[in-house]
Amino acid sequence: MNLNTLAWRNLWRHKRRTLITASSIAFGVLLAVTFTGAGDYFYTRMIDAGANMGMGHISIMAPDYNRAPSSKKRLQQANQHKLAVEQLDNVKSVASRVQGQAMFASARKSIGGVFFAIDPEQENSDNNLFIKAMVEGEMLSSASGSSIVLGIELAKRLKLKIGKKVVYTTTDNRGDIVSAIARISGLFETGSDEIDGSVAVLPLHKVQQVLGYQKDEVSVLAVILSDQRHSDQLRDKMQAMAEFSDTEVLNWQQTQPDLAGMIAVDKSANRIGQLLIALLVAAGILNTMLMSVLERRHEFGVMIAVGMSPKNLFLLVMFESFWLAVLGLIIGVIVTTPWFLYMSQTGLDLTSAYGDDFSFGGVLIDPIFKLRLFSESIIAILIGLFGLTLLSGAYPAWQAGRVVPVESLKTL
Amino acid sequence: MSHKLLVITLLASQLIFMTLGTAETDSSEQILRVKALLNEVDDLWRGNSSYAITSMQVKTEHYTRTMRMEGWSKGKEHTLFRIMEPLREKGTATLKSGNHIYTYLPKTDRTIKLTTGMMMGSWMGSHLTNDDLVKEARLEDDYEATISFEGERNGQDIIEFTLIPKLDAAVVWGKVTLTILAVSHTPVVEYYFDEDMLLTRTISFTDIKMLGGRERPSVLKVVPADKPDEYTQFIYEQLKFDLELKDRIFSLSNLKKR
Amino acid sequence: MRNNHRSIVTMLAMAFACAMMIVFSSLMEGFVAGSELNIVSMNTGDIQIHQPSYLDDPDIYQQIEQSLALVTAIRQAGFKASERMFAYGLMASDQSSSGVQLRGIDLQYETSVTDINQHIQRGTWLAKSDPHGVVIGKKLARLLDVSVGSELIFVGQTADGYMANDRFHVNGILKSVSSAIDNTGVIMSNLILQDLISLPDGAHEITIMRTDRSTDLALAVATIDDIVTDDLEILNWQQLMPVISQFLETAQIQTLIMLLFTYIAVASVVLNAMLMSVFERIHQFGIMKALGVRPWQLIRIIYTETFIQTLIASLLGLFIGTGITWYFEKNGLDLSSMSDGFSFSGLALDPIWYATLSIKSLFVPVVFLFVIAALAVLYPALKAAVIRPVDAIHYH
Repeated sequence: MNLNTLAWRNLWRHKRRTLITASSIAFGVLLAVTFTGAGDYFYTRMIDAGANMGMGHISIMAPDYNRAPSSKKRLQQANQHKLAVEQLDNVKSVASRVQGQAMFASARKSIGGVFFAIDPEQENSDNNLFIKAMVEGEMLSSASGSSIVLGIELAKRLKLKIGKKVVYTTTDNRGDIVSAIARISGLFETGSDEIDGSVAVLPLHKVQQVLGYQKDEVSVLAVILSDQRHSDQLRDKMQAMAEFSDTEVLNWQQTQPDLAGMIAVDKSANRIGQLLIALLVAAGILNTMLMSVLERRHEFGVMIAVGMSPKNLFLLVMFESFWLAVLGLIIGVIVTTPWFLYMSQTGLDLTSAYGDDFSFGGVLIDPIFKLRLFSESIIAILIGLFGLTLLSGAYPAWQAGRVVPVESLKTL
Repeated sequence: MSHKLLVITLLASQLIFMTLGTAETDSSEQILRVKALLNEVDDLWRGNSSYAITSMQVKTEHYTRTMRMEGWSKGKEHTLFRIMEPLREKGTATLKSGNHIYTYLPKTDRTIKLTTGMMMGSWMGSHLTNDDLVKEARLEDDYEATISFEGERNGQDIIEFTLIPKLDAAVVWGKVTLTILAVSHTPVVEYYFDEDMLLTRTISFTDIKMLGGRERPSVLKVVPADKPDEYTQFIYEQLKFDLELKDRIFSLSNLKKR
Repeated sequence: MRNNHRSIVTMLAMAFACAMMIVFSSLMEGFVAGSELNIVSMNTGDIQIHQPSYLDDPDIYQQIEQSLALVTAIRQAGFKASERMFAYGLMASDQSSSGVQLRGIDLQYETSVTDINQHIQRGTWLAKSDPHGVVIGKKLARLLDVSVGSELIFVGQTADGYMANDRFHVNGILKSVSSAIDNTGVIMSNLILQDLISLPDGAHEITIMRTDRSTDLALAVATIDDIVTDDLEILNWQQLMPVISQFLETAQIQTLIMLLFTYIAVASVVLNAMLMSVFERIHQFGIMKALGVRPWQLIRIIYTETFIQTLIASLLGLFIGTGITWYFEKNGLDLSSMSDGFSFSGLALDPIWYATLSIKSLFVPVVFLFVIAALAVLYPALKAAVIRPVDAIHYH
């Protein structure tokens, strides 16, 4: 008789115990999927939202711009660089942007803030938060022209409405003060008072003109990836390429260190939580297997006396662990799938608890709790739990192998 | 800064020149004449130099203060003024040279360059902004001028001009109206309106005196519409035109001289 | 109690589960309590006093009259309090300039109320002997492109309408504190600020911290209200930072959910252990019944054994759990290798996670353990009581 089959049958001799233990493994699957899924969903959303807010997953800019931003530092030959980036894998879009600080003035008031000059043809609501957050009027229609889109709070404070003019003053490429006029074509509302009260969106070519930039000079090329997890690799790759030797290539962790820090901390808290749960599950499995081994000493003693090798006994118990793991995982998958499907499609809307001004590491986000799993995560969870079960079974299995026939026959 | 008021006054005089020949009531011809005269005055304006001594009084809800300063200008590009009184501010000077504006602060012995953050700040605590100072040279580029009224008002014979900002002018106002006396062509009052045509500030010209070779108003008063109890008042003590001014007066090193 | 191995294994499993619950509960509690303290002691304090319209429109003329007398009275009532003055203007460095908020603090008392002086990333804090040294926000330093020692020129307006200007130098650069301070904050001595802006005496803001933070906040506000005679606005930190306050409330709910999951995981372990422990012995119980032991006696025996096992397990769990938690209470879980500070809704937090041992984090896990054990054993105990001896002996 083959050990494997024996192991399987052994399990079913103690239906209840097996099912109880398998359930705890299944529960482990549920928890692991929830924790990891929440993380995978949340972090990716955060990172993508952060990327859409201005700098992209990867930013290409003039050297030293990130450390001390100024209108004098500009990225030249933007188009060339843009083409080079578009050739690379995993790149979803590349947007040219000019940005800087400015004073926005109406006849009544003037307020300091920040502007992003974009080309509406290169940007859409998928890769640009401000386009997505439009609430009134229209986004800029072209990269030239004199339109401006303001945050709703900024317009309110300036006491202006759609159609009214705004004079913005900023410094040009030589450090001189320049002003230009624009008419409000639309308003956006991100939900963050800070952003809505200090940000304006302008047409790229117009701003290049005002700042004295060439048509091919920008502040940053914001690269959006289809999968944010590759940003490190891609950045390293680009840094090594000759086409980018005159630039600084940074990924979102470098341009948004606050966000990176938050995610790192949250991730570690998540890991700690999962570790604790894993320990608990392991404890349960260990308990079961050990008990089952201890009470079969008589049985094992007989088997050894009849000629079975200790090694085989060890293997037998290991196989039992193996089947237990398989069973547990199957039940786990059956139980978890409906939960996961619900949470990944609908999720829990926590807006009532958090409000819509929720920001994490400086990035604005909707507080909807959903799950998402990358295939790597799924594999990791399954292997992890599988390995955990086997590992927990190792000590009891070893105990089984150490049974001394005479001693064991004494037990009943 | 006094230059700005100089310019308001001078713009008024340009408009005066514009109207000197306006005997016709034909509007299209008038517009052509206005344009022609603006150009003529523009040429007249270039190459002008001036020197003035003014005192400024600012009254707000929290304080009243007085300051006395002297100023030089050459063409559109160069302006220098320096504070003479009070003692604690003496030597503070501002230089506008081309597109750059610098302020020298004697207390810290430092010169700082005007930046965007300072633009909308009030100049010297007055009701005018640094931006007003910078914008002055572009007044005629930025507006379309027409005559909106001619006749009697408040017992005076006046001509009223309406200036509408050009579409791409970087100007916050919706409209500016300037009223001058029909006979002497000295400015009486200037109203600034926002885009909704609500009055935002008023500049009045009073106390006609002989200054710089002709009769001009010597007192300019700026009153904000939302705080009518406050004002900034400039009094011209001295005014001279067409002097010999060396370029090096308008240099950074000269800025520091006390 | 036969079969010691089995019992020992079961007890160990339960003890482990108990210890985990204690550690986890303490960490969760520590997170919420720690975050609140973190946030409040960084800059805001428990309670602040202003002129009624000041927060909506910060005007340098809106000063609290006789603020020194007020602050002294508040200290005498057992609180820690400090005066602050604010002004706005422009700071120019070599490379650029930016609008700033000057924060004049009381060098003597500020650090008794807040611990902002410990949030310096580079350089040092203010010193009385160095009146023109200032501490600036992290992002402001980047905007102005300055580092420790750089010179800054301030230009602004005095209260009596003159031009205020002076030279300062950067003593220190802060870590992330709050959005406003990071971007525009320049901290200096309030005496220097008063001189610079020609301000008469009178703070713009009085910030107060309870000496014992476990006392009721509303009570503290009421006490201060009694001391304050003028028509001033008194707000607590939850009113001053509603978003953060809400976040902390929700964080509490989040930690409860985490705890719930943990307890469920624990329950499954205990159930597992106890169920098996009894079921394995049905055979044994069958014999006992055959020998004449009555059903209810059997149940009593089972429950007594369970009780003893759980008691030992909980004692062990308490011992281990408290030990580990105590370590984390003193030293905290250091997450700073991840980042040097992180922010939540515009406020920065310390990346060291402290656990808090409390009655709640000790009591609840132990009680829970007993409850689960009792519940777990119920079914098998009843079964054992009811089963016929013959079936029991053959039970598997």
